[in-house]
Parts: sequence; C-alpha cells; structure tokens
Amino acid sequence: MHMPTEYGGYMGRVLQINLSSRECKEYPFSDEERELFIGGKTMAAKILYDNLNGTEKAFSEENLLIISTGPLTGSGAPSSSRFNISTISPLTGYITSSNCGGNFGYYLKKAGLDALVLRGKSKTPVWIEIQNDKVEIHDAEELWGLRTSETQQALDEKLRLKNGRVRKNGKICIGPAGEHQVLYSCIVSNERVAGRGGAGAVMGWMNLKAVCAGGNREVKVADKERMVKHTQKWFRYLKKHPLTGNQLPRLGTPGLVSPMQMRQMLATKNYKHGTYDDFEKISGEVLAEKYNIVNKGCLSCPIKCARTVEIDGQKVKGPELETLVLLGSGFLNNDLEAILRWNHELDELGLDTISCANTIAYAMEANEKGIWKNGLSFSQVDGMPELFQKIAFREGIGDELAQGSKRLSEKYGGKEFANHVKGMELAAYEPRKAVGLGLGYAVSNRGGCHLNGGYLTILEGLGLAIDQTTYHGKGDLTMLFQDLMEMISATGQCLFTSYAFFPSPLLNHPNAWYTRAVNKVLPYCGCVVRIINKFPEIAFFHLPVFHHTKAFEYVTGMKMPFGKYVRCGERGYNLERELNRRFGVDSKKDVLPKRLVKELQDPKNPSSKVPLRKLKKVYYHARGWDRRGLPTERLLRRLKIKETAQD
Amino acid sequence: MIKVRIFGVARLKAGVSSFESSAETLQELWKEVPGLTRKEAKDLLPFVNGEAAGKQVRFQDGDEVVLMSPAGGG
Repeated sequence: MHMPTEYGGYMGRVLQINLSSRECKEYPFSDEERELFIGGKTMAAKILYDNLNGTEKAFSEENLLIISTGPLTGSGAPSSSRFNISTISPLTGYITSSNCGGNFGYYLKKAGLDALVLRGKSKTPVWIEIQNDKVEIHDAEELWGLRTSETQQALDEKLRLKNGRVRKNGKICIGPAGEHQVLYSCIVSNERVAGRGGAGAVMGWMNLKAVCAGGNREVKVADKERMVKHTQKWFRYLKKHPLTGNQLPRLGTPGLVSPMQMRQMLATKNYKHGTYDDFEKISGEVLAEKYNIVNKGCLSCPIKCARTVEIDGQKVKGPELETLVLLGSGFLNNDLEAILRWNHELDELGLDTISCANTIAYAMEANEKGIWKNGLSFSQVDGMPELFQKIAFREGIGDELAQGSKRLSEKYGGKEFANHVKGMELAAYEPRKAVGLGLGYAVSNRGGCHLNGGYLTILEGLGLAIDQTTYHGKGDLTMLFQDLMEMISATGQCLFTSYAFFPSPLLNHPNAWYTRAVNKVLPYCGCVVRIINKFPEIAFFHLPVFHHTKAFEYVTGMKMPFGKYVRCGERGYNLERELNRRFGVDSKKDVLPKRLVKELQDPKNPSSKVPLRKLKKVYYHARGWDRRGLPTERLLRRLKIKETAQD
Repeated sequence: MIKVRIFGVARLKAGVSSFESSAETLQELWKEVPGLTRKEAKDLLPFVNGEAAGKQVRFQDGDEVVLMSPAGGG
C-alpha cells in the first residue's frame, strides 16, 4: 500500500523488510502521522508504539530496527544529513534512539525512502542493497568478521563488480562487536557512528552486516525559492555565531575539556572527581595544536566539528569529547596519542566508546576495591587495544565486559559506582557540578545520555554560567531543552544547530553586566519557562534566532511556528516515555548511581551532589506527569498520542 | 609573579599556552596577553587557582590564573 505525501521533504515511502521471510513490503505511514510525528526518532517511536506491547526483547523476532530520516534530511538546510536508528536496546531493555551524521540519511532518501523498518533474523549473514526502491538481499559470509572500514571498502568493491562502477551510495555496517552482540555495539556509517544503546548488537543478532542505499530520487522542497534564501541567511548566521562559527569548527567538541575542568565537571576516575590534574594533556587545544590535520563536516554542514588526525601515517577520525574524557581522565590516562589510536580501534571494532570506557572504568574501580579481581587498574593502560579486541570478540574477560556496567555491578557489587542510568552508561560530564544535567541523565528516555537529557550543561558553565548546583528552574529548563532537541532531531538536523539559539553577545562577552544578569536571573525564571512549556502555542510566530521553524515550513509546506515546534518535541518525548512505560519504566528507573546523589564531590561544599528528588519533583510537575513519573491519560490525549495509536 | 594559562580559541590566536606576569589585577593582566587586544582579553573568563574569579580579584604571588574563551556544547 503506497501512501504518497502531499508534503515536501518526505519521499512518502517507508519500507519494511522481514529478514526471516525475506519479505519486503510498504509500511503505511500517513500524512496525518507525518504532521504529528514528523520524522527521525519520533517517527520511529510512533512505529514502535504501534507494534510493541512491552513484552518484546531486544534479541527477538518481534523487535524492530528502524532507520529513519527527517523531512529536512537532504534538503540542503544546514547540518541536515542526519538519520536515526531506533530499536529496543539490548543494554537497557527499553527504547533507544541513536542519531548519526555522515551521508547515509541523504542516500536513503535518494533511494526514495523516508525510513526502513527491519525485523526478523536471517539464517545466514546478509547485507541489503537498496537502489531506487529496488531491494536485494545479498550473502555476507565474506564480510562477516571484517572491521567497519574494511566492510565499507569491501561493499564498494562488490558494488563495482556488480554494476561495473561504484554508484554514489550511503552505507551503514557493524563491526565484530555487533556480530558478537556486545551489548553496546554501535552502527558505523563512513566514519560517523550511531553509538548509543547497542543498536549494532541488534543488527548483529539479525545477521545483518550492512545496508547500502542510493538512487536518483530528489527531495522535493515545497517553497524552493524562499528555502534557498533562508538557507543562505542561516549559513551566514551559523558561520558568524561564536559557538557554531568559531569554537566548534576550530576546537571541535574536545574544546570542552578545559571548561569542564574549570567548572569541575570533567568525569575523572570513574566519576569520583570532577577535575583532572593532567587535563591539558588531553585537551582540545593540544589536539588542535599537535594532531589535528583538518576539520571535517557532514553533508551540508557549515559547522565542521569533526577532527581528522594522523596515526602511523594513516588519516583517521579524531576523538569526540566523550571519548577523549572517558578514555583519558576517566582512566587517569594522560596519553593523548594512545586515545587517538583507541578511538580509531573502537570505531573499527564497532564499539560505543562511551559505554565501553565506562564499563572498563567500573571494572578498574571494582578491582581497586577488591570486589572483582580482574587485573585492570587506573593509570595502567598498556593493554587497552587487546582488551578492546577481547570485548568485541567476547573472549575471556572481554565476554564479561561486553555486558556493560549495570550487569557487572549486579554480579560483583559496586552499584554505587556503576555509572549508568537504566543500564546505559553516562556521558563525560560529572553531574554533581551540573545538577540540571544530572536530572537530564536520570530522566532521559534513552538512559544516561546528555543530549536526550536536555544538555543543561550549556547553561551550567559551558556556554552561560548559571548556578551549577541550584535546583531552581532546572526542571522547567530541562523540559524545554529536551523538547526542542527532540524536534530538531526528528526533523533530521544536527543538534549543534541549536547552540546558535543563544544570542551571540551573551557568549562573546561573558563578563558583561547583561550576561552576568542573565546568569543570575535565569534559574529563577522557571515559572516563565513553565508557561512556555505549558502553553507553547502562545508563541505563534518565528523567533529570529531560531531558524529551524521557517526552514521546516519552506521544506514541507506545513505551518510550524515556534510554539508548535516545541509542542511537536513534547509529543515525541512523551511518546517515547509512554512506550518505555510498557517496558516497565517509571520514576523508580529515573535514578542516578549513589555516588552522584549521596557522595559530595567537594567535601567542603554541601551542594556538590545532585539533589535528584527535588529536581525530579519539579520536572514531573512541569511535564504534567503523575507521581510515578508517567504521562497522564489526559496529557496523552492532549498530545494526540492516544487517539492515533493503532492498538 | 603569577602563571597565566590560556584556553579555548583565544589560545590559538595568542599562539602561546602560558606566560608569566607580574600583574596584580585583571585590568593590568588584560594588557599583557600576547596576541590579543585588551578588548579581546577582557572577554575571557578568569579563574584563579581553579575557582571562577570576579573583576575585582587581586592576584597573590604564585597564583595560577586561567583565562578562557567561553565554550559551547558537545
């Protein structure tokens, strides 16, 4: 059943492939659903909501692996090459969504698809080729066991032999870790990674090594003339902005190591401390001065936050902030060159650097405390590449580490320093000096994720500098930021475009009276933010600093004032929460490890811990959730989540 | 004497990672940052011995001062 769309930006087709039966058919997704659930992770959540009842497991025939794009993917809007992968996470048992740059999203749309829904398990390893709606499932015995870059090269060679030439295409694949179902395996596309939540393990369980997509379909833009003008203006704005035009292009995300150190939020020694004496040796500044060769960006991205470094004569992707911190200060390791190698190795094996580093740091501390004698120690990191291999191939101690820190702490003890939420390990920010992010980690639908958590650190010292330890205003601000980021992600854009939301003068002049005034007042504006959260429709206009809404209108032809944009984000966030409720998520699962809520980071500062109970109370109230931390029936109906469910 | 370390994009412009200074106040220090004008230096965030400092801070001999460009997100 083909359900074409009247809206621009969409290809009007979602394809479903059952790997057990090898059956391909269209998945119905109507324009009414597009209006409500937009695309990307929210579109995927809607499909999961209509197909899962909460009894399904990650490694089962009933699970779905959904690769989805947004209406702006491939539209030419800045940083709009993103695609999303959603599934039941083997790490958490709940819904995960992982967002990725590169070019696969663009080529999936060139093939005529908005999304690909995969289910079932092939009897033998396979890879899928999609070319202009035509789907072929190929044998992947020769690819099985290859590392991620080898796999992508081999695929190009296979396509060249088959077609006589290599047509332009996008690829996703797994490495050995995914094949061995390491619970935090990632999916790799070029050098970019959909890292979090273990979607690579689900792909491995399906016996699916890779997907290639390409074609010559065009993304229709509803108002091309105005979109072109708007895009030019937006590119100029991003280029001029201090974050998207200066800090991110010049230092990349590693540029945050130093400010995190100064704000005491640099996760150090498995989050025991917030500062690291040798932070400069692993900083973005040293990376830029000594190792960075060139800045790279995804398709149509003016920000170009990615680093390219040279190791042993080979040019490879440099580490992101998370990797740098967790493999650096997290291990008490100041060897930047080693981190560059390890980052490359982890991508090649198909392991999520964040969960992998956190799990090893947990094991180091467990060994130090004598509850699990495993030979791993902080500062002693000589055998790391071998350890990563063992994890990816599930050999020896690697087989244990492949399960993640939650399961290990249940087996060996030390839950208080197993730094995960809902089973997924935390990002690199130590939240006792960024308590808003602490709340975000705890309530995030995905588990311990900074981005799905609302990323309040950008207010708590890394952009602006509001009080890092107060709970005032943080619940309402977290909700607003989560909803905005949810929608940006759903449209197919990079979250980094949202940083230009902060007026340049506040960032260019951090010591000016007006910036200091904003920093002082913002935490006490919770009630104002609450009004925006509760009645976003009052913002029936476009904001000059938020270009996303106009771009959405010009591409799709749908009306999308700022307030409606926020409401769509709220719908997406609640949809995932409601979906997670079916799998048993409630307030009892919105918890942080004891270390972060009970132990003071600074023994002289009684505020240096996350006041999670207070934060959650305000947050649930702001969201309109009940005491169990769940969306009420009324809210679900108001957001049109309930009426639209097919079940 | 104080030791001054520079971080953020300002460091790439300054071309040095650290320098020594005999400045006793921020106002004096702003004039001494290599490669940056006083106006540019004024927009760097000051930290003294690991703690955020205000404009009125007075440096003590042996202090470690950090001047940092505002950062962003990752």
